[in-house]
Amino acid sequence: MTAIRLQRCKLGEPDERGRRRPEPIPGAFFEIPCETVIFAVGQAIVGDFAQGLAGVGLEGDQVKTDDSTLATGRPGVFAGGDASPKGPLTAIEAIAAGRKGAASVHNYLRGEQLVSLWSNPLPEARPDDAEVKKVTRQERSPMPEHPGAERRRNWVEVREGYTEEQAIAEAKRCLQCAVCSECMECARICPPKALIHEERDSELDLEVGAVVLATGYDAYDPGSKGEYGYRRYPNVLSALEYERMLSASGPTIGEVKRPSDGAHPHNVAFIQCVGSRDQKHDYCSSVCCIYANKQAMLTTDHVPDCSPDVFLMDMRAQGKGFDLFYQRAVDRGVNFIRSRPSAIKEDPLTKDLLINWEDEQGVLHQNRYDMVVLSVGLEPARKGQEAAGRLGIALNRHGFCDLKEFDPLQSSREGVFVIGPFSEPKDIPDSVAQGSAAAARVMAQLADSRGTLTAEPVYPPERDVSDEEPRVGVFVCHCGSNIASVVDVKDVAEHAAKLPGVQCSTDTTYVCANDSLQLIREKIAEHDLNRVVVASCTPRTHEPIFQSTLREAGLNPFLFEMANIRDQDSWVHKKEPDKATAKARDLVRMSVARARLLAPLSKIDVPLTHSALVIGGGIAGMTAAGSLGDMGYEVHLVERASQLGGRVLQVGRTIRGNDPARILATLEQRLIDNPNIHIYLDSHLADFHGFVGNFSSVIEDKDGRRTPVDHGVIIVAIGAREERVDLYQLDRRPGVVTEMDLERMLKEHDPRVTEAGSVGFVLCAGSLEGDHPYCSRVCCQHGVKNAIELKERNPSRPVYVWFKEMRTFGLLEEYYTRARDLGVVFIRYANGNRPQVSSEGPLTISYHETALNRDVSLPLDLLVLAVPSVGAEGSVDLSKLLKVPLQRDSFFQEAHVKLRPVDCASEGIFICGAAHYPKSIDETISQAYAAAGRAAALLAKQVIKAGGVVAEVDQDRCAACLTCVRVCPYSVPVIDSEVKKARIEPATCQGCGVCVSECPVKAITLHHYTDAQILAKEEALFMEVS
Amino acid sequence: MITAERKPFDKILGLVGESKKVLVAGCDTCVAVCLTGGEKEAEILASELRIEAGMNGRETEVEHTSAIRQCEWEYLDLISDKVDQADVVVSLACGIGIQSMAEKFATKLVVPGVDTNMLGMPLEHAVWLERCGACGECVLGETAGVCPVVRCSKSLMNGPCGGSHEGKCEVKTPEGEEIDCAWHLIWERLKAQGREDLMFVDRPPKNWSKGSSGGPRKMVRVEARPV
Repeated sequence: MTAIRLQRCKLGEPDERGRRRPEPIPGAFFEIPCETVIFAVGQAIVGDFAQGLAGVGLEGDQVKTDDSTLATGRPGVFAGGDASPKGPLTAIEAIAAGRKGAASVHNYLRGEQLVSLWSNPLPEARPDDAEVKKVTRQERSPMPEHPGAERRRNWVEVREGYTEEQAIAEAKRCLQCAVCSECMECARICPPKALIHEERDSELDLEVGAVVLATGYDAYDPGSKGEYGYRRYPNVLSALEYERMLSASGPTIGEVKRPSDGAHPHNVAFIQCVGSRDQKHDYCSSVCCIYANKQAMLTTDHVPDCSPDVFLMDMRAQGKGFDLFYQRAVDRGVNFIRSRPSAIKEDPLTKDLLINWEDEQGVLHQNRYDMVVLSVGLEPARKGQEAAGRLGIALNRHGFCDLKEFDPLQSSREGVFVIGPFSEPKDIPDSVAQGSAAAARVMAQLADSRGTLTAEPVYPPERDVSDEEPRVGVFVCHCGSNIASVVDVKDVAEHAAKLPGVQCSTDTTYVCANDSLQLIREKIAEHDLNRVVVASCTPRTHEPIFQSTLREAGLNPFLFEMANIRDQDSWVHKKEPDKATAKARDLVRMSVARARLLAPLSKIDVPLTHSALVIGGGIAGMTAAGSLGDMGYEVHLVERASQLGGRVLQVGRTIRGNDPARILATLEQRLIDNPNIHIYLDSHLADFHGFVGNFSSVIEDKDGRRTPVDHGVIIVAIGAREERVDLYQLDRRPGVVTEMDLERMLKEHDPRVTEAGSVGFVLCAGSLEGDHPYCSRVCCQHGVKNAIELKERNPSRPVYVWFKEMRTFGLLEEYYTRARDLGVVFIRYANGNRPQVSSEGPLTISYHETALNRDVSLPLDLLVLAVPSVGAEGSVDLSKLLKVPLQRDSFFQEAHVKLRPVDCASEGIFICGAAHYPKSIDETISQAYAAAGRAAALLAKQVIKAGGVVAEVDQDRCAACLTCVRVCPYSVPVIDSEVKKARIEPATCQGCGVCVSECPVKAITLHHYTDAQILAKEEALFMEVS
Repeated sequence: MITAERKPFDKILGLVGESKKVLVAGCDTCVAVCLTGGEKEAEILASELRIEAGMNGRETEVEHTSAIRQCEWEYLDLISDKVDQADVVVSLACGIGIQSMAEKFATKLVVPGVDTNMLGMPLEHAVWLERCGACGECVLGETAGVCPVVRCSKSLMNGPCGGSHEGKCEVKTPEGEEIDCAWHLIWERLKAQGREDLMFVDRPPKNWSKGSSGGPRKMVRVEARPV
């Protein structure tokens, strides 16, 4: 080897891809002398191979593929890496192509459509994002290099690396643009493999008739309030963080500890209204007072010697039952301090927190706390605002969605409804009610297409297991850490495996997860199971899920039994894991014993009457009736008075300045014009029988005429009334009136109002005390509204408002602000320190002025009392007739205070409006729609499933004693006139079991809860004892 | 119907004594209907006896059964197997049933588990009122369907006594509750029917010998007897 001979080239013309290939110049050879030659060989595809596969197209020398799926022209053949049209690339590209190809092959073999998994990039921040724009530009730190002159003489690393400062500076330049860096640690650690990184956003085109926006809220970022030191002081937490800390599935597994040192805090403070009721937020977030109550109480559970302090302005417990909850917090030793601290300081040594605050007498105090929780407010959801922008719907000045007062779900665009806190901060029951209400609005709009998109599930035929020995499968749930952190689930599963009849027993992280349900189906097939026991949570929420899994596996759904080892075990015996495990074994053993005796049961279809009965023709009843009528259902609307409208007829103007008379008139006309709606005035419900779907009632008018009516559902909307308490000289002096009296007087331009020189309001006159310990919810807004009105009519007239707690929650806060701006004087009083009204002579009111610490007496021309609201006339009788309970506060009781706010516990009976709890007109309308929505969900069915868990009479044993006939809450049992024995109709029996336990000759059996099944559980329980 | 009330548990325990094998026998007719002695109550009493024996360390076997009517020989045949096994039978039937049981199983110790108290009716569920004294000579046709024999505290036959005040009797129930004056009820109902004159009819002294005062009674229905 002496030299290498080369030919000179020139660049050719660009080809179709714009590449210029070298072209040799003929005869232009030259030589380079050398001793060694190293070839840098290129790579090319072995063309013969691809050509041999028919249908695989080529592009130049390369295999032609679809860029995103790597599919070639021949189905089932994929190409990537160096063979792809891009030609030879790096190893990274080749590996990526390999994975991409594998995904496509997977889809191809499963017969699914080939889709690119990589065509949608991961979400990442763009340079034009608002967040990124905030970052100031900063140049890269230059990398120090070994000086060139020295490098020639040694092998020292050229790039010397960053110093610590340089490295930190460089790292701080990170824009954190990628939401996730795909390290996959989360996917690896998640036991049920619930994290799927390959999922990408996809766009769907849907044709819909209505849109419901339920975008929720954003929690206020307390970091914006620098004075509270959030993010700077480790022991200052936001309420959401604290909520997680209190949770058994939270980061500390329910242990309350200071982030700074992990110690249990003994002094904890809560600061209310962080991001509410301030200069930037002229509204109240409505929910923080009660969640702080709850968190403070839970704190005393977690740290028994702790009595937390709550710094607040007003206790806004306007929801149903909330004041009793507040009272419980007080009884538990939670201190409520009326003050708004201006700042939190940290003791740098101990990391304790110091709060300076001023009491109501103006005295300054300083308290030291181990931990402070900021009760953050609710802000309009930013994502919701973006959606609102795309949908073109209006927002109000706070950024919440703007809704009409008398059409409280309807956005500014027809067909777009808004529910939940996106229109105003609100609590769970109000949000749930709005959800049902939106369903009602949509059902009325889309009544024509009802049922056109529903699909019936198809199940395999049921296996007959009657001749088989019991073969039980047991599945023990970890419920994440809810059960497994206390109960030794492996031990429980092993114990179950040894029980008679058990064929297989396993434990899984979440038995209700899809993969576990699949496991149940597989085990049923593998072991020929004919009974299934799940040891997990409560059947109230989860039984239907598992029952349908059995059904999918060809088993009758009644061959299923649940052991509640969470609510009744791990949650209550957290501190005694050994005993909890022993109890779980007992519970599972009992369930297996019962499961062995379970028998298949079948349900029957019962037809239903597609009509509704609405009791009460106020705004609630009218709205509910109108909504159901619009959906095309027949409605019977019964009103005691001679006119529709109820209490709203007396209201002149709402706090938002709207006249409800107009909406009432329109609504009434709509009801009259709708042929589906029958109105009964001067009438009441005289008789009521039957069961969900098939009620029969009698409506009686004032002349005693009785009209029988069959209906499938009933809505109770009988409202509330003012209780004229014997306080503050009410009904003893002419100058003392109630809020409803004032409404009437304002409407009639009564000179006692128009000419009154000074006016006082006493809110909570009889509420939050004595017989009425609850809040009537609407009186504060009535008082503020009328205080504004009287002040505006005559700005020089002094207007005073005495209050216990000012509950202008949600967006009503701005009216409270306005009243104060107008010069209305607000004075707080407590139960033990009521204002006194003179009983004779000129009308005066005297009270204790806290700031001055002395008694003050003021002359008044008119005194308006906000007296308590109580259940309407006739509510006790109606409650007895319908067999639905009233609560102690005389309002109807719902099935679940948070999650089923308009359902009664008895199926097919619904409540709305003030019969449920006092509420404003817009809240009443929302709730009335909700009741209509819930009722319509039943009425939309063609048949009701009945039977299964029902009682059956053994007529040979029956003594025809009538006990069952008399005790049944649903009036189902009858004495058959032919055989003269009791008979229970399975279609109507509700399966409550009352007759079974009362029957003196034990002639009645409740299927699925037979004596044998219950006794088997007991015997199993005591098996290990005896 | 015949009504009865269960005896206090301690009383029953005293009657059972040291017996090793106990049978609680219910009756599924009158005493079942008045929720005192049907199969359910028999089972409950049997459990109570078992628990008591267990708690006090005695080995007592307690069984339960019930007859369709304890006052019929044929129905007693159906439970005779269980009776044969027992040392003592606690009968929850009315006094009639207890006696038929004692007569049928003459060698067995049969003890009452209930106190039979009256012939009455349920005013409402689980509340019974006495309605008939089985006096042997019914006067309801003259008294507007209200029995003065058992509903008047003094069984007066000629109008109320001086102790009737605003429709109530001067006597109260042992629980201190008011009792309606039977003669007041009779008067009101006669008035409503326009038969006030019946109030002023003099009734001769009642023949109490037709009732229990006349010694044990016997009734024969001749035409129903076998020929």
